[in-house]
Amino acid sequence: MVTFSSNPGSWLVFLTLLVGAPLLSGIVNKFKARLAGRFGASVLQPYFDLVRLARKETVYSRSSGFITRLAPPLVWSTTALAILLLPAGPFSGAISFDGDFILLAYLLGLGRFIQILAALDVASSFEAMGASREARFAVFAEPIFFFTFGSMALVTGRFSLQSIVSGIAWDKPLFPIFIVVSSISIFFLMITECSRMPVDDPNTHLELTMIHEVMILDASGFDLMLYQHAASLKLLLYALLISSLLNPFGWLNPVAGVALFVGVLVVLAACLAAIETLMARFRLVLVPQFLLYATVIGVLNILIFTFSH
Amino acid sequence: MIGFFILGLIIHAVAMALPAVQRHDRVLNRAVNLLNTLALVFGLIFSVNSLLTSQLWDARWPLPFVGRIHLACDGITLFFLFTFQLLSLAGSVYAIGYLEHYVERGVRIRWHLMSFTLLILSLQLVVVVQHALVFLIVWELMAVSAYFSIVLEKNRPKVRRGGFWYLVATHASALFLYVFFIVLHDRTGSWDFADIASQAGWDSGTLALLLVSGFLGFAIKAGFMPFHSWLPNAHPAAPAHISGLLSAINIKAGIYGITRMFMFFPTGPEIFGWALLAAALISAICGVWYALVQHEIKRLLAYHSVENVGIIGLGLAVAWLGRCLGAPGLVALGLAGALLHTLNHAIFKALLFFGAGNVYLHTHTGDIEKLGGLAKTLPLTGISFLIGAVSICGLPPFNGFISEFLIYKSFFQGGNLMGGLVPLVFLVSAVGLAFVGGLAVACFTKLYGIVFLGENRLKLSERPGHEAVSSFPVLLGLATLCIWIGFAPGGVLRLVAPAISQISGIPTARMGGELIAPLDGLTPVFALLLAMTLLTLGIKVWTQKRVGVRLRETWGCGYQSVTARMQYSASSFAEELIKLGQPMLGLKLRWKPIAQVLPEPRVFKSHSYDQIEEGLWVRLNRTIGHALMLLRWIQSGNIRHYVLYIFAALIVYLIIAFVW
Repeated sequence: MVTFSSNPGSWLVFLTLLVGAPLLSGIVNKFKARLAGRFGASVLQPYFDLVRLARKETVYSRSSGFITRLAPPLVWSTTALAILLLPAGPFSGAISFDGDFILLAYLLGLGRFIQILAALDVASSFEAMGASREARFAVFAEPIFFFTFGSMALVTGRFSLQSIVSGIAWDKPLFPIFIVVSSISIFFLMITECSRMPVDDPNTHLELTMIHEVMILDASGFDLMLYQHAASLKLLLYALLISSLLNPFGWLNPVAGVALFVGVLVVLAACLAAIETLMARFRLVLVPQFLLYATVIGVLNILIFTFSH
Repeated sequence: MIGFFILGLIIHAVAMALPAVQRHDRVLNRAVNLLNTLALVFGLIFSVNSLLTSQLWDARWPLPFVGRIHLACDGITLFFLFTFQLLSLAGSVYAIGYLEHYVERGVRIRWHLMSFTLLILSLQLVVVVQHALVFLIVWELMAVSAYFSIVLEKNRPKVRRGGFWYLVATHASALFLYVFFIVLHDRTGSWDFADIASQAGWDSGTLALLLVSGFLGFAIKAGFMPFHSWLPNAHPAAPAHISGLLSAINIKAGIYGITRMFMFFPTGPEIFGWALLAAALISAICGVWYALVQHEIKRLLAYHSVENVGIIGLGLAVAWLGRCLGAPGLVALGLAGALLHTLNHAIFKALLFFGAGNVYLHTHTGDIEKLGGLAKTLPLTGISFLIGAVSICGLPPFNGFISEFLIYKSFFQGGNLMGGLVPLVFLVSAVGLAFVGGLAVACFTKLYGIVFLGENRLKLSERPGHEAVSSFPVLLGLATLCIWIGFAPGGVLRLVAPAISQISGIPTARMGGELIAPLDGLTPVFALLLAMTLLTLGIKVWTQKRVGVRLRETWGCGYQSVTARMQYSASSFAEELIKLGQPMLGLKLRWKPIAQVLPEPRVFKSHSYDQIEEGLWVRLNRTIGHALMLLRWIQSGNIRHYVLYIFAALIVYLIIAFVW
């Protein structure tokens, strides 16, 4: 059964997450700047950017049609709805049902579908190149998601994100290892899906090398704001997945639970920043291999778990 | 209520006879298709009513030579009957406008209309007949009428070749079915499906023969890999309404057969379920990967039918395994996914083929690389094609998601029920399905993005409204069905419920709570998605009104003289994914590297071919051909030799009869 949370807290958390998402991107950028020895922009800079974009006029390509106009709201709302399905730390998700992680993956898939089309809509080779890359990497990223959450569903015997998270038996041997390794798979996924180094360089200025940024090359004004906010929501979404998994709430009091939850988010931001500082971007042909590593980690994980049980 | 169905069949018969008396093609086209439409409306009244009220119908009619034949409308039959009638209805209405263009070009369509009607008629009969001999006759009628419908433009070699592929495949299928039913008759002593189903205790050798021949027979028809090669050849050869129906319902006759096998072997061996799972997974993955390579719209869509038949097969396999395990809930879940996907695929694939037909009418080419920007010139085709494309990728909130969701769920539930390595196998299957989903997204963004978006690559007339207006009700109707089943799956699941109940043994009354209610819960989630999108869209439009909107050229990194031909092509879009599937996908590149400082004009050609088609079937055909050449001396052409053969054969028979 699909249950809508009657607890107003869950919906309040959802609104907080919507508002707070750019902060996570801001924190990542701050960490990055500090690691590079710069002082860096304020952690609130993403908010200033969003406001600035919203107040600018929109420029549309003459080649574009209805897809370009429809895509930004749709990309934003699919990502936001996906966030609604997630348990955020000690708070249960606002919507929960058996198999909700399938819907989550497919909602993100819908957003990707329409974003790729929007990139193809403006008749630009650059954007189509980015779209092609996005489609290609998604082919390898989606199985990782299903592998990770499918194996967790089978291991815990539960099918909704909420019950999977609460069904993790931290006191049993092997369980903590299983969850931690699964989180590493999700972290790989996060790097790919959120266009982070070493898969994509969010700061690049060369159209030929970009993936996500090149797809929104012709977006501007309010449209670009929606895209940017959706991107920060997506980053938050994967971070939430990891921090909800790595949280033995049964053992902690709520305050410690929230502290740990926020702590994991900050640590993830630091990890992203460290990787972006220390590593160069992969050549594009290496990205599928990078994703296959994540798959192999997942396969070994479930094999070890199955055979030692 | 059965009266409606019989009335429908009679009207079909009248429609078939019409070409004999009316010689004016244009009048004939409208009359026959409208009569068929009317007949199908009557048929639909019968099937929907029977499904919703669970009124099953059973009769034994006397027929000369064969004896009393069993006709029945049980849950399985009614569901497939409903699917066939619904899509035939769409096809008949679409054909009115589409065939008009053939009439204008002076193509004679009398025989085509006759075979088209026979195809619709025999497809309905094939599911009703419960008598093996008559089933085979009707099956053959269906196969042959489909062949004649495909080869409408028989003057074109490509059409004849595609039609021939179909003819060979369908007879290979029939050959295995002869074996299947003759062995069944031999062991049970009856042609009646009901008697066959009540037979228990097969010895393992017979069972193996039956399962293999039955599965092969139906799998060739359904287009499982590696028996899929007729699909990508026959679909582009046929006119759009026929290719739509081939994919939507003709291959589903094979799915019907496999579903019927559930009834024949109620205790069926587990190994068949695993084999089906493997075959289905291979079909799904290879089908979509091959689809990615294609440059021809209909060929691409045909490979997607292979993929979707694989997805249906996954659901059927889980149901089969669930029954071996004694888990009726799992049977219900797997079957619900498989049968609903059968209906869903029929709807969106017909929609896509009809959309492709409109593209063809407008541009006279099906080559993706030459098209572009059609969403502006064909707005309605563009939007309905988009809905079909999103649906076929299994994305919410459309119908494809519902059936794939059920199949995913059946994998996870099945993994939970079974022990040992089974959960791992199911997990891998679920991941395979996700992989297929990712490839389907790549494939349909390529198709839609290149054909309908961007700028026109050909110099075509830019004026809008050049669409086949008579196709609008069909496209809109099918697109609405995609949305409606996605948003409110409960209604359609009630139509699948009798079939599920017949196989799983769960009464229809209990289906509501276990199967339908969790899916109906998705409606508010999708409504929320819609509300959020509309709200954001509203805010966006309102803000843009205040701060302004400008139209400019696309950013070309400063390059000024961009032409439409500089756009990304479909081959480039899919290139890297094709490279990754390289040993499996055949790809021939013809080009020379640029060597001089001042380069001369260069040609680059890439051509993809199907390894299974070329490496297996064409090669096999050639080998058999060579082997048979050795026996050519028998056909001397001299009548005296033939008399001698007959005489020798007679003597051999007599000796055998005498000795036995």
